Amino acid sequence: MLIPRPSLSELESRTRWVALLVLAIGLHLFEASLPNLGPWFKPGLANLVTLIALVLMGPRAALTLAIGRVLAGSFLIGTLFTPTFVISMAGGIAAAVMMIAAWRYIPGISLIGVSLLGALAHMLAQFVTVESLFIQQSVLYYALPPLLLLSCITGWINGALARYIAARLTHEI
Amino acid sequence: MATLPSESDSGQSMFHLLKGSRTDRLLLLVSLLLIAIAWFVIQSRVSAGPAVAEIYHDQLLLATYPLPQSGESSHSVIVQGELGETEIVLDEQGVRMKSSPCSSQHCVLSGAHKHAGEIIACVPNRILVTVRGKSASDFDAIVE
Repeated sequence: MLIPRPSLSELESRTRWVALLVLAIGLHLFEASLPNLGPWFKPGLANLVTLIALVLMGPRAALTLAIGRVLAGSFLIGTLFTPTFVISMAGGIAAAVMMIAAWRYIPGISLIGVSLLGALAHMLAQFVTVESLFIQQSVLYYALPPLLLLSCITGWINGALARYIAARLTHEI
Repeated sequence: MATLPSESDSGQSMFHLLKGSRTDRLLLLVSLLLIAIAWFVIQSRVSAGPAVAEIYHDQLLLATYPLPQSGESSHSVIVQGELGETEIVLDEQGVRMKSSPCSSQHCVLSGAHKHAGEIIACVPNRILVTVRGKSASDFDAIVE
């Protein structure tokens, strides 16, 4: 029995997804190897790719990209199935879900607002995960406000970058 | 559904790119307000009393130590975590993790902490150190 060949447009969209995935994995590795910015804090460049995928390809692509990126990225770093992996996964999924919801349901929002909410969701999800699975101490949340402030800054900047990139990627070459 | 970035976005300055829509700025304002309130509430809770470091293993409070003031001698504590022994040092600089059996070593690299509300969390070894209370040296920085 022959497997029907996928249409050219379907192949193109799959290829685009894989290209974004590879980019996201690369950025995930890059962020993991950055000099010590503190264990809780990263610029969130890998999440930027999730946002680009959401704009270009829709919610499903964005969510699968976030999951695939954390799986492959953690495998390459050597943290697969460790607490670090669980925390990354929770953050990645929370950010993706939050960004999808914001993009769909908040009127008048631009990619900057979407990215801002995604960054905040990412940080909150990390703390909730640690508190519920690893260190069951509510004192953990005391460290949250300054980190959320940093998330606001990186989220805003990443949103501006995403706008810039998306505006160019949606042009016909 | 939000609008896609328009073509006019691409030709504009970086400042304009960073501006965001009215909704974006409203969201930022609300977020900052909530963060500020949370920060204020937490600070008012943790900064009462003299400076102490609390050491937890998972849900259990193992010990509370006063942070040494300048001139006082430092001391170290060894606690048993999920993976092994973590060495915690208390000195004039505050409290820090000197050694940890975890692979990432984030907790050791994060250095010394002495301000109320600061934490050192070693997730793999499930050790948490928090700082509460005002350290005497803080006042020098705050009082004008």
